[in-house]
Amino acid sequence: MTGTPTRPTRRGGASDLLARLFGNLLDSEYAHTTAPRTRPGRLAARAAALTALVATGFLLAVAYQSVLATEPAASKARAKLVSDVRERQRQADALQKQADRLRDDVARQREAALAGSGDAERLFDLGAASGLTAVHGDGVVVRLTDAPAPVDPVTGKPTGATNLGRVLDRDLQDVANELWRDGAEAIAINGERLTATSTIRQAGGAILVDFRPVTGPYEVSAVGPSDLDRRFQASDTGQRFRHYVAAYGMQVSVKRTKGLTLPAGPDPRLRYAVPAPTGSPTGSPTGSPTAGGSAGPSVGSSVPSPSGGG
Amino acid sequence: MFAVVALGVGVVLGLVLEPTVPAQLQPYLPIAVVAALDAVFGGVRAKLDKIFDDKQFVVSFVSNVLVAALIVYVGDHLGVGGQLSTGVVVVFGVRIFGNVAAIRRHLFRA
Repeated sequence: MTGTPTRPTRRGGASDLLARLFGNLLDSEYAHTTAPRTRPGRLAARAAALTALVATGFLLAVAYQSVLATEPAASKARAKLVSDVRERQRQADALQKQADRLRDDVARQREAALAGSGDAERLFDLGAASGLTAVHGDGVVVRLTDAPAPVDPVTGKPTGATNLGRVLDRDLQDVANELWRDGAEAIAINGERLTATSTIRQAGGAILVDFRPVTGPYEVSAVGPSDLDRRFQASDTGQRFRHYVAAYGMQVSVKRTKGLTLPAGPDPRLRYAVPAPTGSPTGSPTGSPTAGGSAGPSVGSSVPSPSGGG
Repeated sequence: MFAVVALGVGVVLGLVLEPTVPAQLQPYLPIAVVAALDAVFGGVRAKLDKIFDDKQFVVSFVSNVLVAALIVYVGDHLGVGGQLSTGVVVVFGVRIFGNVAAIRRHLFRA
């Protein structure tokens, strides 16, 4: 209906309206004032006009200041937060440096104290086996990468289907366990050293190693005998992962690597048994006489400790 | 001349007093500013046209500001405050441009 030639008045009317609108707009309010009327008796009007002008200036200044006052509030808060973050980072760095220095100090003192006896080497071996000291050596790196998300062949957009080639916590557990069985002496996943109580578990979409999130590609580095990669490939687990590669598109590579350095694991938290609270009498149904609740083994699917490490 | 001085006095007053604008009046401030600017430019144009009238100026100033604020106030309560304030700004913007064009023609004959 719009724009049909049978209705020319419509368009004409519209443009007429616009013209009238702008014409009226441009028409000053003073159009009806025909002659200057600034007679001397109109001092009050003159004062009112000046007051209006003062008010205009006042308005301008107030508006400017209110913009100034509201605008930087957000950016000021942000700048403060940024400086806070920087400050905390500096503090954390300083503390980290101090901790490193103290740790070195402790190690040196221990060596000095144990010098001469064979205890130092034994301590070092035990530390390497338990994951408490960083180790350096040759080994393999097993690299696991998620298969690309399935895409719709027509639109090229990701479909909602589950990606069967995603690396799961179970896969990392299997790889780590297989490496332990093949004689690995130390294992780290994406730089997180596995110890006797390490956990590999999934929380939502993320995989947590020792409660620290790791993201793909997952690199399981292991220090061990020179034929570690062959042993891994020949194992049932290696075979299964080859199947995953073929069937689901997961990417797995096992590479022998020289000069791997695995960082030290987290310091083990010492746990102490504490006497049951004395306030509750022995007859209390909840009071456990053993008080071993806090000393249990770590929960979750923990990787077994190396059987023959060291 | 007095007009410019009065305008400057107003600016200085606003800067010195640093009044805090109540939160309820905050949305009307820019509208009021545009309306007041329109009145000022209309006055300048009338002055150049030699038809300036004090009473007309005061009435147009007050009514512009009040009507603009009222429109936005009503719009706020009807859920179209943002659109109406845009409309008010457009209308006053067009008027300011027209007035400035007239002033320009007066001053430069172009």
